[in-house]
Amino acid sequence: MTATPRLEARGASKTFGPTTVLTDAHLVVQPGEIHSLVGQNGSGKSTLVKILTGYHPPDGGMTLEVDGQPIALPVQWRAAQAAGVSVVHQDMGLLDHLTVSENIGIGGFARSRFTGRIDWRRQDELAAEILGRLEIPVHPRTLVDELPPAHRAGVAIARALRGTVPGEGLMILDEATRALPREDLARMHDLLGRVVASGTSVLMVSHNLEEVLTLSDRVTVLRDGRVAGAGLPTAELGEADLARLMLGKTVDAVTRVPVPAGLPEDAVAEVAGLEVDGRSVSFTVRRGEVVGLTGLPGTGFEKVPYLLAGAARGAAGTVTTPTGRIDLSRAEVSDALRAGIALVPERRVRDGLAVDLSVRDNVALPSLRRRGRPWLVRRRWQDEVTGEAVTRLGIKARSGADLVKELSGGNQQKVLFAKWLSTGPDLLVLHEPTQAVDVGARADLLHAIGAAAAAGRGVLLVSTEPTDLVEICDRVLVLQPGAEPQELRTDDPDALLEAIYAVPTTTGASHA
Amino acid sequence: MPETTVDHLVSDDETARRLVTDSGTDTAIPNHGERARPGRAGNLLRTAASKYALIGVWAVMALYFYLQVPDTFGTSGTFSSIFGSQQVLVFLAMSALVTLVVGEFDLSVAAMMGIAATTIPVLAGMHDVNIVLACAIGVGAAVLAGAINGFFVVVLDVSSFVVTLGMATLLTGVAQLVSGSTIVSVSSPGLAKIAIGDVLGMPVSFWYGIVLALLIAYVLAWTPLGRAMVFVGANAEVARLAGIRVKRVRFGAYVTAGLLAGLAGLILVATVGGFDSSTSNSYLLPALAAVFLGTSVVQPGAFNPLGTMVAIYFLTTGIFGLQLLGYAGWIQNVFYGAGLVVAVALAKVVRDRSRAR
Repeated sequence: MTATPRLEARGASKTFGPTTVLTDAHLVVQPGEIHSLVGQNGSGKSTLVKILTGYHPPDGGMTLEVDGQPIALPVQWRAAQAAGVSVVHQDMGLLDHLTVSENIGIGGFARSRFTGRIDWRRQDELAAEILGRLEIPVHPRTLVDELPPAHRAGVAIARALRGTVPGEGLMILDEATRALPREDLARMHDLLGRVVASGTSVLMVSHNLEEVLTLSDRVTVLRDGRVAGAGLPTAELGEADLARLMLGKTVDAVTRVPVPAGLPEDAVAEVAGLEVDGRSVSFTVRRGEVVGLTGLPGTGFEKVPYLLAGAARGAAGTVTTPTGRIDLSRAEVSDALRAGIALVPERRVRDGLAVDLSVRDNVALPSLRRRGRPWLVRRRWQDEVTGEAVTRLGIKARSGADLVKELSGGNQQKVLFAKWLSTGPDLLVLHEPTQAVDVGARADLLHAIGAAAAAGRGVLLVSTEPTDLVEICDRVLVLQPGAEPQELRTDDPDALLEAIYAVPTTTGASHA
Repeated sequence: MPETTVDHLVSDDETARRLVTDSGTDTAIPNHGERARPGRAGNLLRTAASKYALIGVWAVMALYFYLQVPDTFGTSGTFSSIFGSQQVLVFLAMSALVTLVVGEFDLSVAAMMGIAATTIPVLAGMHDVNIVLACAIGVGAAVLAGAINGFFVVVLDVSSFVVTLGMATLLTGVAQLVSGSTIVSVSSPGLAKIAIGDVLGMPVSFWYGIVLALLIAYVLAWTPLGRAMVFVGANAEVARLAGIRVKRVRFGAYVTAGLLAGLAGLILVATVGGFDSSTSNSYLLPALAAVFLGTSVVQPGAFNPLGTMVAIYFLTTGIFGLQLLGYAGWIQNVFYGAGLVVAVALAKVVRDRSRAR
């Protein structure tokens, strides 16, 4: 491949204060290809895209060229646009109550030369022209509201390509395909095929490995802010390969704290007939046991933690704990707490921690009613609980008075874990407890999960991280679409990935 | 900078195979997230500076007035004029604070105070209702208004801005209706005594304000209820997932705001002996200005009652001094208005600075 690359970025680094999120990353996109950029949360892929679109200035030492022409850094969006770069954002940025033609024209309407008034007829023609070129069967005067998802994506793409000369330019799809139903992937593939057929390039950012492999020609993988795989042809990759590239080899194999002999093996939670997305799930978690729960997106496994903790209402189901039985169709969070169920939610900033308050305040919150009196909550036990959490999990904070927002992501996640561990639950329900944390924090957290089990708690680990699941879980339940949950006992992440992706995909869109 | 990875740029099959088979060869993973620790002494100094800057400004301002007009500002009368005159504002500011702490907004606190301050003299003065009963009804009306606010905002999930603005306007109209748009008054020595009776050289209601602020500060810091309120305000979803009944807390805050506003009205009537219902909304801005200015002191970035107290007496000192310097009545509005903007800006700068560290 000797042709001048469409886009060539090298030496991209970015630090936010003390945190390095991107280290000397590079990205090369060839003309006329669909190139995917993948990586876990926190791998730096969104930072890289934001550098390309001028949202973040890069650290020094980066170079950026489009079609061999250097672009000044930090990127001025107008200069990038002039060089042919366009973006389709995650939410597509479509205004639902306006027509397709208006949405395509926003920011650069066809205007009458004399009056400056928008020339609607010409605008409609322009819209029709680009829609025709991309073979999107949509009338310019249709309201965007009325379009199916695949056509909405088409309109957003048409807008992005509005000013591009066919055969030139680079369109960045920033997770824009996320909202697409699986059955539309094949259609999207054809559409992108038409875009690149003329020589225009597409850079696709996505979490969905299936999508990446189905749609794109080559893929760049970021891990922990570095390039773990540069421009790999997708034809030679499977989803498991890609997942392994993204996750990396295990840095420290976490050794489970052994469960002491003689621990009673009674069940801490018997979940019966829990209705999740039209299916019924039953399982048992015993004392000292770490049970994993995973599956493909859409199987509903990620809703189970919230249903169990009373944070969302299920249609039906019960959970029986040593303290009694709860009807999950009408449980409140406080009922679940009383029954000894604690939930560590996935989105730590939104649902997990009040980041403007101190570490101590956050850690003590769930225990206030139990350990405080209505007229006085003493500080001493709060300090003790916080101090213990800081030592046990190795939280890097000056003191419990530090605000949570001052800590790094990994330390925030530890605070969140400590907060719920400090309530002394019988069943600890964890949702993606190691997401977006660095490798060291991940090892600390997995160790703490094992220690919690060894202390006689039951743990339900709901996660999409195959390596976490096989390393720490005694057994893993895999939810599969339209089939009974499968139970696995394995140390091999590939075996788990195979089980997750076991059911043949329904798209049938083979890789071109 | 780690070693350059130029060979990775080559996108040939061999690279692909190598990378797939031994992924994770880049061993040195930098330790993310560890941050430099600032010096302890410098830290303490900065903490003190950001916590008590307003008190310093207050002292400088008082000194300036003292040097300018030592004969009038430097007397004991000044002290009691500044500290003995703001009880109504204290109660009203605490009323606004209670809703702001839980993340709500109540624009009707002044009007709720107005309805209490109108109802009491109308009942006791014009209709010869027993003074205790009149006070109970007046304060009760404000509590009811707070409950109605809470119902619309919390239960029906209507914008708090719309509901409380509507309530403020509505209550002002009702107050005009019951008072016949005139100044209403009541003369009751018993009532006056509960507000202006002398305790340690200050009117007793001054001590009510101190006790109220300390009580709210205590509740917020040292009781489960207060911690729940703070968490509801900081992140309602986190509070809900910790088993706190968020709606109950928010509703309770509106009712409490009504109660405190009603008590402010009661103290107002007891102190002055009457009320002009058309003036009630002029109390709103000073109360809000004080609460927001209070977020820049004692506990910077948080609504806190002690900071609010500091802010109230800071603003009063400024206005009192400026009046002694010969500025007429207009200075009050200018000072409160400017104070509010500066307060919010100052609080934000303090917050942003602490975040940037």
